[in-house]
Amino acid sequence: MTAAIEVAIDDDLWSAIGDPTRRRMLDRLLAAGGGTATSLSDHLPVTRQAVAKHLGVLDRVGLVHGSPSGRERRYHVDEAQLARAVAQLSSVGATWDARLRRIQRIAEAIQRRQDEHDRTAVTDQPEANDTRRI
Amino acid sequence: MEYGTIEREIQVQASPEVAFAVVSRPEHLKEWWPDDAVGEAVVGAPGELIWRDRETGRTESVAYTVVEVEEPRRFSFRWCYSDGDLRQGESLLVTFELTPLGAGTLIRLTESGFRELGWEAAVLEEHCREHIEGWNHFVPRLGVYVDRLVSAR
Repeated sequence: MTAAIEVAIDDDLWSAIGDPTRRRMLDRLLAAGGGTATSLSDHLPVTRQAVAKHLGVLDRVGLVHGSPSGRERRYHVDEAQLARAVAQLSSVGATWDARLRRIQRIAEAIQRRQDEHDRTAVTDQPEANDTRRI
Repeated sequence: MEYGTIEREIQVQASPEVAFAVVSRPEHLKEWWPDDAVGEAVVGAPGELIWRDRETGRTESVAYTVVEVEEPRRFSFRWCYSDGDLRQGESLLVTFELTPLGAGTLIRLTESGFRELGWEAAVLEEHCREHIEGWNHFVPRLGVYVDRLVSAR
């Protein structure tokens, strides 16, 4: 993991998937195997116009693709692009977990060394140890 | 509105003083994060996190700025500035809160300041890792979990 990868957040993609309504739309499209603005608005507490606008955002970042279907466009989820977005989201939490485990290891090693030092100091030089503690 | 936050906790068998040194001092920082780190655990101190490409030897540095130093309880810094050279613009705020727990310390990490609402979904990682069997399964959970997070605020 390099800084470049970590910092290179694809803002548009994240923004697109970050909206709760758009996430519900993706859920619905995945569950139903596709849908139109009309069919989606039937299942969501938003207007058909709002759904159409959200579909436009998802389309622009490649999360959905539309094809003509009667008087509307029928959309389906691009699972490869969705996988990419989810991988980005997941990697951030995972990298912090890894960092925290390293913090734990280092802190515990230092603590063990200090405890060892204290034990030695108490045995050998009680006075020096008292001074150090102050 | 800002509800894009990563939250993590870990227990360590070390005193808060030791844990504080590890999360705050550059000489320790480089052991758990970048290849090298330059800076001081002093409020306002500008620091650099440095990564080195193993193959080319080229380095890349990322600016960070210390925000809070309350030894041994709290340490925070900003990084990922949208204008890194000037340390200005949008940035991420990383906060370590240390609480004595038994003979050790509970370290609580939060990373916040993500500009886009999408970021809070990153906290899903720990909840979903075991359950990801495919995106059909993952995405519905994403929505439910994030909604719960948001409505809990």
